[in-house]
Amino acid sequence: MNRKVTTLAAIGMVAVAAVSVAGCSGGAGAGREKLELWFWGAPPAQQDTMQEVLVDGFNASQDEYELKVNFDNAVDKNIQVALSANRGPDIVYGSGPAFASAYAAEGKLADMTPYAEQYGWKDRILDSMYESGTYDGKLYSLPNSIEDIGVFYNTAVLDSLGVEIPTTYDEFVDVMDKAADAGLYSSVTGNQGWKPVNQNYISLFLSQVAGGKTVYDALQGTVPWTDPAIVDAVQASADFYNAGYLGGDDYPTLNFDQSMKLLSEQKSPFFIGPSLAFQFASNYFNDEAGNTDELGFMAFPTINAELPSPYYTLGTTASLSINEASKNKDGAAMVIDYMMSDDFAQKMNETWPGYWAVPLKDFDLKADDFTGLSKPFVEAMHQTIAGVNDGNYGYFAGTFFPPATAAAFTDIDSVWLGNVTAEEFLTGIQKIFDEEKAKGLVPPLPEPAN
Amino acid sequence: MTTTLAPRARSRSGATRPATRRRSRQSRRRAVTGYLLVSPALLLSILIVVLPGILTLLFAFTDWNGIGFDAEFIGLQNFQDILADPVFATSLKNNITWLILFLTLPVVIGLLTAALLLRRKRMRTFYQVVFLMPYVLAPVVNALVWQTIIYNPNGGVFGLLQLAPPTAGQSTSLYAAAAVDMWHYWGFLTVVYLGAMRQTPVDQVEAATVDGAGAWKVFLHVYLPSIRPTLLLMGVMTVIFSFLAFDYVYLLTQGGPAHSSEVMGTYAYAFAFSSFQFGKAAAVGLVMSFFGLLASVLYTWISRRDLLR
Repeated sequence: MNRKVTTLAAIGMVAVAAVSVAGCSGGAGAGREKLELWFWGAPPAQQDTMQEVLVDGFNASQDEYELKVNFDNAVDKNIQVALSANRGPDIVYGSGPAFASAYAAEGKLADMTPYAEQYGWKDRILDSMYESGTYDGKLYSLPNSIEDIGVFYNTAVLDSLGVEIPTTYDEFVDVMDKAADAGLYSSVTGNQGWKPVNQNYISLFLSQVAGGKTVYDALQGTVPWTDPAIVDAVQASADFYNAGYLGGDDYPTLNFDQSMKLLSEQKSPFFIGPSLAFQFASNYFNDEAGNTDELGFMAFPTINAELPSPYYTLGTTASLSINEASKNKDGAAMVIDYMMSDDFAQKMNETWPGYWAVPLKDFDLKADDFTGLSKPFVEAMHQTIAGVNDGNYGYFAGTFFPPATAAAFTDIDSVWLGNVTAEEFLTGIQKIFDEEKAKGLVPPLPEPAN
Repeated sequence: MTTTLAPRARSRSGATRPATRRRSRQSRRRAVTGYLLVSPALLLSILIVVLPGILTLLFAFTDWNGIGFDAEFIGLQNFQDILADPVFATSLKNNITWLILFLTLPVVIGLLTAALLLRRKRMRTFYQVVFLMPYVLAPVVNALVWQTIIYNPNGGVFGLLQLAPPTAGQSTSLYAAAAVDMWHYWGFLTVVYLGAMRQTPVDQVEAATVDGAGAWKVFLHVYLPSIRPTLLLMGVMTVIFSFLAFDYVYLLTQGGPAHSSEVMGTYAYAFAFSSFQFGKAAAVGLVMSFFGLLASVLYTWISRRDLLR
């Protein structure tokens, strides 16, 4: 019996050792340096696209490195913990330039300026996007995609209400009122499961009411956050919310996915949200359902008549940086460069619209080359990029505001629900912002024209 | 006699010394074995509990951002800041409400159900398994079930009844999250209380019954005193868990709307992982631990007093 146990144990150990050795040295990546990217826990179909276009594409494009992507629902938190311990992935995926600058300030990210020169990133990337990734004059992050906070609409619902696609803010509000009278949601959206969704809507009103230039001045510290124009913007967001124009009473119990579902079920004419929500749309607007053509996306109609129209609320979906602790910084830069290309954007957008509007100056993707939802997304991004080049934009807080200030803006629902006044809220923002500004955590901002 | 006694005495002391040495060696060996056996658990506790605990204590007095190693000592600033923040007061109040809810509703329901199951011989095990099911499911599963089937305004029970989901209201959001947590917790209490009640000496129950005590009086004067240590222990655990509440609030309401369901756990989490203010998160963590510590000290004091009686 004892001999049997010993023999079995020995066989087991040999098997484990053999499997370990095979795992370490086998496979297609034999002899290559390993590169790692931690990415958010995207749905399976999108993970497949990522694997095919990024991982397989990059690995086939060279023979020096082997890229592996880990999908992780708690990626932000895990990256924060890993970086603080000088560990983590080679390519650092983050929430945006503001978060990257906080890491850069602590020496956790590598200076990418030499790679920017090597690969010509400054010439290829939109100036505003490139600048947003710099800290202390050096480049630490590049956004993977730009986004605009706009309006998704369902043409079938607009037809049933007997209205056209609105082109002005007044028309837009009229349609929402008509929808409410017809027993529909005025618009759908909500922050269930992710409170920072609030940042989308306060950013939208700061841009559309106060204007990008006023917010730029506040972020530079030349005007206070309690400036009357900003107070008006915060109050306007509260009025908009209380009129039921943000998901009615169900804002805290809806999320983007459910909102897109409700839009496809014709429960509302509009879904106000970031362009990245295109990625949820394909579940509900598709050829199988026969309603792909019903979905459209437009810039949010300009509220302040003194601002140009259309006027964009510019943001990024995520940022890409290089871990200072990485042993393969050259490889990580190679991956980022691979992602900053037309070819990559073209392939990703074929099946994954919403997340990959690579911020290239010459966004050469042709909408006619795409089918399904990728087509309106590419069209929308062309318009956004044109607007950004003209300087007609404000800022998305999650991308451009320092982290604690952005987190404080998440509490805008305290104003919406009448717990504090707009002035009190902004006085609190000013205090937090002053502390972060003193620490140098305000990322460099592209200055808008208006 | 003396000649015979002397060597005997010598031989006795000579035999005692090696025996003492042997005993001392054995005792030392036993002690070393004991230390060796306890060392993995001790080492783990020191590395995973004591060390982070001490670091949390230290960080609470610094402005550490949780990323680098730069941290400045700022005295009581973090505590002053959180005490001046109305959200902290809301969180503390919500934790206390949470505690009151958990010390009453699940305890009462658990005790009643356990008392009913005690008399039921058939199907008792089946009921226990059914009641325990929510407890063994992951919180994220329970939260999703409630969010999609019960609270959902589009297709959920509240939607069908055309009622506003309680997670959306400022006055109801905390109770909405607590309801799900209590739903998952009360079955566990039932099983624990039932186990304790079954340890009650049968002769006491029979004596009370013979003396004419009804079911209520037997429960009140026999079972309840008998399970007092269990009630006490579960009460202390409830106090500790109530101040550590996090998962159901985070999953169902994220502390909203407008901080109405914020508890100290979610409040600290936001500092740590949204604002890069680990110092403040550590300060909130210390306040949370303080209440747990208070409950533990109270429990130890009551237990010792009971033992000395």
